[in-house]
Amino acid sequence: MNSTTTSAPRRREALNETRVWQVYARRKYEEPLHEIGNVMADDVELAKVYARSIYDEFSWIEMVIIPRDNIVTVIES
Amino acid sequence: MAGSHIDNAALFAVLSSLADNKQAIGRRYAYWCNGAPALEAAVAAAAMTQDELGHARTLYPLLEDFTQAESDPSQVEPMTRTLHYHLAYLDHDFQGWSDFVATNFLLDTALTTFFAAAQNSSYEPLRQRARKIVQEERIHEMHADGWVRRLAKAGGAVRSTLVASLFRLWDETLCWFGPNDDPNMQGLYREGIIDATPDDLRRRYLQKIMPTLSSLEIDVPVFFNVDTKCWELRQSLPWNAWDSVTRRKSVGLS
Repeated sequence: MNSTTTSAPRRREALNETRVWQVYARRKYEEPLHEIGNVMADDVELAKVYARSIYDEFSWIEMVIIPRDNIVTVIES
Repeated sequence: MAGSHIDNAALFAVLSSLADNKQAIGRRYAYWCNGAPALEAAVAAAAMTQDELGHARTLYPLLEDFTQAESDPSQVEPMTRTLHYHLAYLDHDFQGWSDFVATNFLLDTALTTFFAAAQNSSYEPLRQRARKIVQEERIHEMHADGWVRRLAKAGGAVRSTLVASLFRLWDETLCWFGPNDDPNMQGLYREGIIDATPDDLRRRYLQKIMPTLSSLEIDVPVFFNVDTKCWELRQSLPWNAWDSVTRRKSVGLS
């Protein structure tokens, strides 16, 4: 296998994002935060940039992101 | 109404360069709206493209108000303009994602350093735009910082490709502020249009970018002066290869 065929997948693997962030937002103070989607990013600052640019359909008053691996399941059916 | 036109060749020249650079950055970014390494990065690239083209579109109309535009009105419209005062680095398509990241991290941050120095400008139209642009650029800076860290920490060919992109853009970006006796930038400083000389702008710029580059051990020709507590250039910039009219690397020089 020559180096050209192996280097491209390696570069891609090196840049693969593995961390998932749940995105929550609300449009009014009287509303609770609700889940609007998720983004993948290993870096928290990039996750914030991605969440803002992907979920920009409304003028949110608040948006937060939570790493999915920090979520603790209490009930699972 | 010719009587109300502003006669300021220095401001006209610098605004032209700012607008051309923003326009060229937007056009180069646009190519990566569907070519970024991940869907999230592609969407962010699309948003940043819109921002950059938006900044250009708020700057070009200012040129119409200048006496210097009267001789050739076609030069103040981006669609008819044939002069290109953007960096030579932006003449061609990016060779890869690392060029996108380098442009955002080095060049766009340099332009933002200028706009930050114009937030209390005596020229009101620039003051208004500068404040808005500086605000919008905060997200771009987060993106730039995040991606420089990500590519540098990936190591190997990914890191070396990033470093190559940064080095290709390095000198030309630092030159954009002009030599310290640059008549245009010094003119803007004297008239209170910006609050810094070219050397001050360069110093402020290095304070912004060097903490990231230094923490990643990316070796650029800069040192930290412990006496002044400032980052300073280790060597002089290649002014003989820089054109003061177009504020870019001279054609034919590498």
